[in-house]
Amino acid sequence: MTLLTAVNPYQGAPKGDNPYARITDNVARIAEAERPPVGWYIAFAISTSLLAMFFANIGYLVWNGIGVWGNNIPVAWAFGIVNFVFWVGIGHAGTLISAILYLLRQGWRTSINRFAEAMTIFAVMCAGVFPGIHIGRPWLPYWMLPIPNQMQMWPQFRSPLEWDIFAVGTYATVSLLFWYMGMMPDLATFRDRSRTPIRKFAYGLFAMGWRGSSRQWHRYEKAYLLLAALATPLVLSVHSVVSFDFATSQLPGWHTTIFPPYFVAGAIFGGFAMVTTLAVPSRQFFGLKRIISLDHIELMNKVILATGMMVGYAYGMEFFVAWYSGNEYEQFTFVNRAFGNYAWAYWTMIFCNVVTPQVFWMKRMRRNLWVTFAVGVLVNIGMWFERFVIIVTSLTRDFLPSSWGNFRPTIVDYMTLAGSFGLFFTLFLLFCRYLPMVAMAEVKLSLPNSHEH
Amino acid sequence: MAEHPNKPALSDSDPSLQLGSIADRAVNGLAALGVVALVTAGVLGLSAHDHGRHFMFAYLVAFAWVLSIGLGALWWVTLQHLVNARWSIVVRRLGELLAANAPILALLALPLVIPTLLGNHELFPWVDHELMHSNHVLHKKAGYLNVGFFTVRMALYFGFWSWWSRHLLARSVSQDKNTATLGLLERVRGASAPGMIAMAFTITFAAIDLLMSLDPLWFSTIYGVYYFAGCVIAVHAVMVLFTLWFQSKGRLTAVTREHFHDLGKMLFAFTVFWAYIAFSQFMLIWYANIPEETGFFMERIHGNWLHVSYFLIVGHFVLPFFGLLSRHVKRHRVGLAFWSVWMLVVHYVDLHWLIMPNYQHEHASFGLLELTCWVGLASLLAAATLRRAKGKNLVPVGDARLSASMAFENV
Amino acid sequence: MSDSSGVSNQEPSLPSGDVPLFGVLAEYSTPQQLLAASRVVRDAGYTRWDTYTPFPVHGIDGAMGIRPTILPWIVLGAGLTGVAAGVALQWATNAFDYRWIVSGKPFWSIPANIPITFELMVLFSALTALVGMLVLNGLPHPSHPLDLKQRFLRVTDDKFFLVIQADDPSFKLEMARELLAGTSPVVVETVDEDRVTSDRLPRPLVLGLMLLVVAAAVPFGLAAKARASTSREPRFHVVPDMDFQPKMKADRANPLFDDQRATRAQVDGTVAAGELHENTAFWTGRVDGVLVTSFPEESPTSEAAVTRGRERFGVYCAPCHGLVGRGDGMVSKRAELLAEGTWTPPSDLQQDYIRTMPVGQLFETITNGVRTMPAYGPQIPAADRWNIVLYVRALQRSRATSSSDLPASQRDSLK
Repeated sequence: MTLLTAVNPYQGAPKGDNPYARITDNVARIAEAERPPVGWYIAFAISTSLLAMFFANIGYLVWNGIGVWGNNIPVAWAFGIVNFVFWVGIGHAGTLISAILYLLRQGWRTSINRFAEAMTIFAVMCAGVFPGIHIGRPWLPYWMLPIPNQMQMWPQFRSPLEWDIFAVGTYATVSLLFWYMGMMPDLATFRDRSRTPIRKFAYGLFAMGWRGSSRQWHRYEKAYLLLAALATPLVLSVHSVVSFDFATSQLPGWHTTIFPPYFVAGAIFGGFAMVTTLAVPSRQFFGLKRIISLDHIELMNKVILATGMMVGYAYGMEFFVAWYSGNEYEQFTFVNRAFGNYAWAYWTMIFCNVVTPQVFWMKRMRRNLWVTFAVGVLVNIGMWFERFVIIVTSLTRDFLPSSWGNFRPTIVDYMTLAGSFGLFFTLFLLFCRYLPMVAMAEVKLSLPNSHEH
Repeated sequence: MAEHPNKPALSDSDPSLQLGSIADRAVNGLAALGVVALVTAGVLGLSAHDHGRHFMFAYLVAFAWVLSIGLGALWWVTLQHLVNARWSIVVRRLGELLAANAPILALLALPLVIPTLLGNHELFPWVDHELMHSNHVLHKKAGYLNVGFFTVRMALYFGFWSWWSRHLLARSVSQDKNTATLGLLERVRGASAPGMIAMAFTITFAAIDLLMSLDPLWFSTIYGVYYFAGCVIAVHAVMVLFTLWFQSKGRLTAVTREHFHDLGKMLFAFTVFWAYIAFSQFMLIWYANIPEETGFFMERIHGNWLHVSYFLIVGHFVLPFFGLLSRHVKRHRVGLAFWSVWMLVVHYVDLHWLIMPNYQHEHASFGLLELTCWVGLASLLAAATLRRAKGKNLVPVGDARLSASMAFENV
Repeated sequence: MSDSSGVSNQEPSLPSGDVPLFGVLAEYSTPQQLLAASRVVRDAGYTRWDTYTPFPVHGIDGAMGIRPTILPWIVLGAGLTGVAAGVALQWATNAFDYRWIVSGKPFWSIPANIPITFELMVLFSALTALVGMLVLNGLPHPSHPLDLKQRFLRVTDDKFFLVIQADDPSFKLEMARELLAGTSPVVVETVDEDRVTSDRLPRPLVLGLMLLVVAAAVPFGLAAKARASTSREPRFHVVPDMDFQPKMKADRANPLFDDQRATRAQVDGTVAAGELHENTAFWTGRVDGVLVTSFPEESPTSEAAVTRGRERFGVYCAPCHGLVGRGDGMVSKRAELLAEGTWTPPSDLQQDYIRTMPVGQLFETITNGVRTMPAYGPQIPAADRWNIVLYVRALQRSRATSSSDLPASQRDSLK
């Protein structure tokens, strides 16, 4: 029964300075450790507490109804949709790093793509919760799917909200496939290093009997390329569709043609900020400093700077065209954003999204981990406020002053938002503990001596 | 990509590096053709007795087309510096040469700018004072849409483009002679980040001023991005065609199938990007159905403009999408050449579709005037590019990463 | 059985009597060595052989002579299928089976259908890319003779392997071993077929799975039983769904008042503001209790009135009575399909007895309802009800015209 006995092929074998083995060791060590670092336990305790709070608040909401939130008329879309768009946006960097940077031959992506992809999936899961609990009767979300039913009715496919179901659903599925497929060879590595039958079985089940055959690698790489090529327009489409939710309406501040690319740039911006926010502590805790190097951090900061500028461009264009349009409602909306009763939210957004990334013009700042972390956090705050500004300020002040109103979030709103971070971080910490955090096979491939000269 | 230090970069004496005598005849021929065509266009335009209306519109379409190539090239070179791209070094000089047409484009803009300065409002309705002050929406825009500010903006755009493109070319050429000047390139790289921001704003506002303001009531925030997508498509197609032509004369042989593959990929990617932007703009306006916005598309779905609109969907997206999808086409000289020509033609149709409904409602037409303007401007700029290329290396031989670029392979 | 002598073992173990040979295995420590070896094996004319590496070694396709996979074509087919599915789904549901006007968009709104068509294209392609890759690669592949080799465990870590299989037509053990020995391997060994591990699932796992399947069938069984039987118990309220609300409904008792009526009657001798309806022809369709036969003065017939009536008819009446009043509206069709048994179909407005009704009666029916048709008086202003009546008349007329109604000139053109 050699298959299931604990065999360690590494025992006694001289490892020397084989770079491949070093990568395997560095990454696999994290999941094979008897127990994770103390920091992990603390983070996990906090995250699961938040998660418990999340479930409690959702339960309270389901039991009592949407009235426990601060939503009202005219602000029928408030935190629920702000959080949804925020989390979907976070979920964009993962696929961007995996797919677009892959197509652009950016070898440095291999160090960060795995956990960026994981982040994507968890963020999309968080995002998926919000429309579900926002619909009023959360036990009927299947009404949005084209399932033959006793009412003999079909969903309304001309509605952007219906497009969302398909866009986010497809995105979640394809991200999962992409993540899983990228992980297969690494799961096989974990399987082959397993020392207990349970680990061997669990990893072996998901590795599907991957043995690194070159004939299989050939098709695998082709499939990976195809998935990357498919995921690239997909990632653009998802946030574009989310932007359609707003932009197909006639509400000033929502209806503008630049919304699709503007939302996509914002999503990449926010997503990268989340990656750096997570990468800085992760590499510290799990000893991945050599794999996720300062150079990688610097490159990500450059992407943050570039996408931050694109977001700034969109803010500017919106303002300019609001003036240029000569439409008084448009003009009022933008003046109201900047100087109205939610001006504090607007200037928080401008400060976090446009001003703070400017420090990255300096190389020293790009390579400073504290600055990187701080900007990452600030950008995430800014991106949350961007959605808040779009949704809330436009809804509180529309065409008719008689239908103006205000929005005040309740404690349940705040706790649900905080709780969603619990879901995200709980999943992320479990991933760090049990799955290959770095795409080992790809990092090995990107080593200089992996090629023929 | 790994470095390949053992492969020799091009030596200065390589005959494939310089255009040499093959440029002369082409330059003369093209310049003559351009002048003849433009003079014909001018005569045709004057004899129409419509205050130059038809001429200016036809000229604007052709000008927007050549401008998009120049701006696309300038943006592309800036991008290559910004991201420190290696694969593209062998074709970068070509991009630099194309971009450096900016001062000539400034001169060629004069037939549009001077009549506007003189108060001719056939092209830009906002030149008309009476119109601007009688319309309750337009009079709010007079602060932006007026002749003085327009001229200042034009001077700024073309001034910046001229300076920036000449700067990039000069730096690159001076490096040819002195390979030790790696620092030179670093400085260009540093400047390319603010350069990129300036490009974003100048392209956007130039598109708004030259094209969107033809209908001063209409507005769309994505307009600049739409024109930009066309610029990038155009420049990649032009680079492919120039390279293929040079190679047929035994020049620029450093460009391999791998580089064509990448140029083809960019062409493909931006064809899809164009479709994405065009669809976003159309869908949002169609869906919200606000009268002040739908006017733009109402013009373009009436009369035979509708057929042009349908043609653009098929010709500017569906056909090239499937045509360029395959790796084999992108690596095949004839295939890539065909789609490059195709994209340049449909790009012209796209600009025609953007501009001409303001000239003629309900009736799309393409006549001798349009043709002569197009041929004239295209030949003049091709001649200028070739003349500029003369005496210069076609490849930036001073770039230390050139060997890596030459050995580049798609995986 | 399989060798267990550790990494230093240079001597391959010979195949023991009854276990057939799977192939010959060579190990290399760098991808470059493997590439060189692959070229040798390829040129020797072997067909049943493979290399195993921790990452995709570039250049190995050429070195091994691997032909490009057909996967991209399969994915292209899947993508086109996705496009077709997206178009078909949206057409069938919104433009064919369940036509419903939404925000003035056509039933078949192509711009609005593009996002979902695109998403389905990507979804189909992506699923096919993964599943296609797995199928073409013969995965999942749980057990393999190479698994018995301890040194092979490092294939997913840092070692490179080449295997020539024994079922290759030109396989000869000694020749293969000699060939590989000449490619500077770390070691060359023989590999036996797997006669050690069982390919059966562990018994507890099988039992557990069976239990799960049975348990999963229980809810379906209960649902089926509930559907097939009747019960006098009230509905089981899993979700209250606002079924119980603390409010007064029209005909319920309200202890707050002496007469216990929730609905309060009007005080005698009073008229609410704007409710003094003196012209009974216009407000009720009757004069002195007799149904009127012509349109009241306040609502004269005109083209504008017909147009308005048609639009209101489309909003309020067409869902049941159908767009031309044949009683074939979407609601009615659905109800008949459901065959609940309690459905009273709406009247065909083209029937003779309705044609001959006085307009006052049509008005009264709309105002107060009839049979299962509810009263629309509270919803539709009186003028609009008259316009609807007018439009109903126009509809009836349109279905019962003869050529003699046409002006002479047009009548001639029909001949």
